[in-house]
Amino acid sequence: MKQIYICEDTITGIYSALHDAWKECRDTQAGVELRGRTQRQLFCEYRIVEESEEKALRLERMIKHHLGYNAYWEIYHALLSTDDRKGTVVFEVLQEARKIRQSEKIMEHLGCPAVADVFSMSRSVSNEAHRYEEFIRFRELENGILFSEITPKAQILTCVADHFEDRFPLENWIIYDKTHKVCLVHGVRKRWRLVWGELFNERAAENISEEERKYEFLWKRFFHSVSIKERENPKCQQAHLPFRYRGEMTEFSCAEDKIGL
Amino acid sequence: MLKLMQTEMTLGEKLEILSDAAKYDVSCTSGGTERKGDGEGMGNCRKAGICHSFSADGRCISLLKILFTNECIYDCKYCVNRSGNDVVRTSFTPEEVCTLTMEFYRRNYIEGLFLSSGVLKSPNYTMELLYTVLYKLRHEHNFQGYIHVKAIPGADSRLIQMTGYLADRMSVNIELPTAESLRLLAPHKTRKNILAPMRFVQQMSAENQYEIQTYRHVPKFVPAGQSTQMIIGATPESDYQILHVAESLYKKFDLKRVFYSAFIPVNEDKNLPSVKEQRPPLLREHRLYQADWLLRYYHFEAGELLDEENPNFNAYLDPKCFWALRHLEEFPIEINYAAYDMLLRVPGIGYKSASRIVKARRMGMLDFEDLKKMGVVLKRALYFITCKGKMMYPIRMDEDYITRNLLNTKEKLPEGADGMSFRQLSLFDDMGIE
Repeated sequence: MKQIYICEDTITGIYSALHDAWKECRDTQAGVELRGRTQRQLFCEYRIVEESEEKALRLERMIKHHLGYNAYWEIYHALLSTDDRKGTVVFEVLQEARKIRQSEKIMEHLGCPAVADVFSMSRSVSNEAHRYEEFIRFRELENGILFSEITPKAQILTCVADHFEDRFPLENWIIYDKTHKVCLVHGVRKRWRLVWGELFNERAAENISEEERKYEFLWKRFFHSVSIKERENPKCQQAHLPFRYRGEMTEFSCAEDKIGL
Repeated sequence: MLKLMQTEMTLGEKLEILSDAAKYDVSCTSGGTERKGDGEGMGNCRKAGICHSFSADGRCISLLKILFTNECIYDCKYCVNRSGNDVVRTSFTPEEVCTLTMEFYRRNYIEGLFLSSGVLKSPNYTMELLYTVLYKLRHEHNFQGYIHVKAIPGADSRLIQMTGYLADRMSVNIELPTAESLRLLAPHKTRKNILAPMRFVQQMSAENQYEIQTYRHVPKFVPAGQSTQMIIGATPESDYQILHVAESLYKKFDLKRVFYSAFIPVNEDKNLPSVKEQRPPLLREHRLYQADWLLRYYHFEAGELLDEENPNFNAYLDPKCFWALRHLEEFPIEINYAAYDMLLRVPGIGYKSASRIVKARRMGMLDFEDLKKMGVVLKRALYFITCKGKMMYPIRMDEDYITRNLLNTKEKLPEGADGMSFRQLSLFDDMGIE
């Protein structure tokens, strides 16, 4: 009977499930699936694993200790992806790592299908995170807070947090992930935090400061004048900057039509 | 009159004029420095650089790319801002540039500042202004983001030195590939004048390297190195000449990047190609960039890619395929045993997949399926490699045969870069016959 562990789609949740799976089934087959996104199969036993900080920390320590930091980050990124198989393939990677001589080189073993899967998931998540480091646009609200909304596929907030914290240490800023309903909040000279749940006051996010309009306008003006007409090439632009990111970007917001640029 | 216009002009108008004037400068990269913020100001730098947007021409916008002023005493024939042209002239004040940079940076619009300038009054006067901007940004606004600044040829070396300690990258444009072309099109500039600051920056960086190794807290001089750019297609040089110039710039001046800029006619002049009949030579520019990458990352030499008999790149094949086809005696190579340097030379294998292959084959033999997952472009690579001693399909190692097949794989070219209004007729093209 194959054991399948069901968990929440959070890092803590999946780590907890992986922890139990590792404890009980490391020598046999097992699966780790997400609650609400699993298909029942024959000859499988299902068990729900509750989120547990303690288990998660223990598993995290184990991965870092045995597979090293690089592999840990690859796995961490893979677990943020939208792929439903992520828990199971990571479990298989952990099993595969026991078989090779130097476990910390597991992510170089691309000949193994599970490793190749984790590798490609991690690549796609970190690519998306990088895109958001590029394309996030802040607007200044009346109270001086810099605010940004995004709709990413994967849960990339924690991947961009350190970058923006290092970049704007003296600013109050918020990045709101509309897809997963999470806020990344940073206060002046403080560490960032994640806040789960709907945005508490959506109206407040619309009240922008006086200066804000001016700089939005200046930016749009710059954006248009810096392009060379003789070389215009919308396909190339689209390849680098796909449409799905443009909705939340200042330079593509519809206000530009009114300005007539 | 000019004074009057300046006082009337808004920041928006200035920005539009001075960014429009700067747009022909190609380099907009923000990489080369890794710097953490110190927690007391704003900004940091990433080694790989970050693009923040892409303009309608598909080029990345990473830096706030502006001229400090477009008032210029020089009369270079290819330039919009040549003194003989009747265009609206204006200048920023240092404070304006700082505000724009800081406010754009705060909103994550840009990665930093790219500051170039026309030559106002004299090279020294202009360089001083640029220095003032950088000083204010770094010390008054505590800005730690990326700054790329132009060194003005002819300016005092001490000014260049002081500016260099504040900037991340410095560049002097070499403008045209050869000294004769420069004499023809930019009568006020000389090759010697351009190379002098370049040599100076190189020497300062070398000294600075030594200091950094010896002492603990040394200010860094131009940590992201220097770059340059040249205009392609305004003068009759061949690709071979251009590539040679680029190679010697990399070797003799330790440049980080050489940029190529397809000539876009903005002025009418008897020494320039005429405005009407020409579209910018984008395909040529693309091939040069491809070759440039081969020089910097793939251990190729300019002499290998082109020679006097073939002075120009093939319009239909990228430089790497072109090279491989003329050296079929070296192929096919065995993926599981070939040296890293040789893997780099296979069309369809990039430097990332090459290093993945080298690592992965330590764990076990690789097959074509595995290569595919690592990002190797098999449709191009399959003619040149074997896995476990076998080729993917039975292939004749014949130049014509492989060329024909490679041409059918349809290389992904930037739109409009192919510039082909006709193509060679082939029996089996577009006929649906397999």
